[in-house]
Amino acid sequence: MDKLKDKFDPELDGLTRALQRHREPVPADFTDKVLRKLSQAQEQKILARVVLQERLALAGCVIFSCIAIWATTVFPEITEVLFQSIAKIVTLQGEALAYRIRQTIIAFSTDWQTYMILVGGMGLAVYSLIKLSFGNGLKTTQSHK
Amino acid sequence: MAKQIQSERSYDWLQSLRSGEECAFAEFIDKYKETVFLCCRGLGLRDDEVEDVASETFIAAYKGLHRYSGKAELSTWLWSIAYRQAVNYLRKNRRKWRLWTEPDESIIGGPRAKEPEPVSAAQNSEEADIIWAAVERLPRLWAMAIILYYREEKCIADIAKIMQARKNTVKTYLFRGRERLKEMLAGAFTESASVNG
Repeated sequence: MDKLKDKFDPELDGLTRALQRHREPVPADFTDKVLRKLSQAQEQKILARVVLQERLALAGCVIFSCIAIWATTVFPEITEVLFQSIAKIVTLQGEALAYRIRQTIIAFSTDWQTYMILVGGMGLAVYSLIKLSFGNGLKTTQSHK
Repeated sequence: MAKQIQSERSYDWLQSLRSGEECAFAEFIDKYKETVFLCCRGLGLRDDEVEDVASETFIAAYKGLHRYSGKAELSTWLWSIAYRQAVNYLRKNRRKWRLWTEPDESIIGGPRAKEPEPVSAAQNSEEADIIWAAVERLPRLWAMAIILYYREEKCIADIAKIMQARKNTVKTYLFRGRERLKEMLAGAFTESASVNG
């Protein structure tokens, strides 16, 4: 930079100083305006994303229904087998879940005292942990006051 | 020590800026709004257009902050965005833009390019105002090169990046800009001396 200055600038020494002294007028509320625009743009972006998701979901529903209707009319046997197997899987899974819930209730009802002791112990442990973490901090803050 | 604290603070500020904190971005706008306005006005945008393009520049900067690697200075990076935004605006909205980018010296500055006129010293009381008025009369690309080199103290490589031009082209703009400034200012200061004398 100095080299260039030496080469070109014997008569323009004060150029940097003079140009740096210039102040460009800027509206006082410009920062607020930009921030407002930015938040509006972000809101619009979020809104556009939600709208897109909804449109995709709707399109998915429509397409799936169309495919289902088409498959039922063109390949009725295959569709029947397919739906039957889906229904079977869902029923089996549901039954398994219901069985597990029932077993848990039975186990709890026969051995509820043990579970209560365990829950009590766990509660005490959690309480001690909270007291250990936050209790001292609170005390220190109070003592500082 | 003070330098280290300052650099740490600026690093923290940059991190806050990248993470999208509103306070940091407000500070960023306050710090660089004048620069962006200068770039837009320097390229010949009207006052009613400058604010829109400047806003778009800051919004583009906000969106692109996560891509800012820190290799270039933050101001250089912002200058490139502002320059691109202003040029794109001019391309979209001005028919004469194509003429403006022709390499012909007589039209390189578009509507602003005129024969060198002596700046009237009587109209401007201070030397700085006279010089600024002279720079404003230069063809836009020359004026931009002069502003970036002298006011912003950017190196030729950075100016070339900002103006999307070759280094030699930037040197030519600077050389011609300076020559014309000398002609204009010689007239202005001669006039000023005669007025004062």
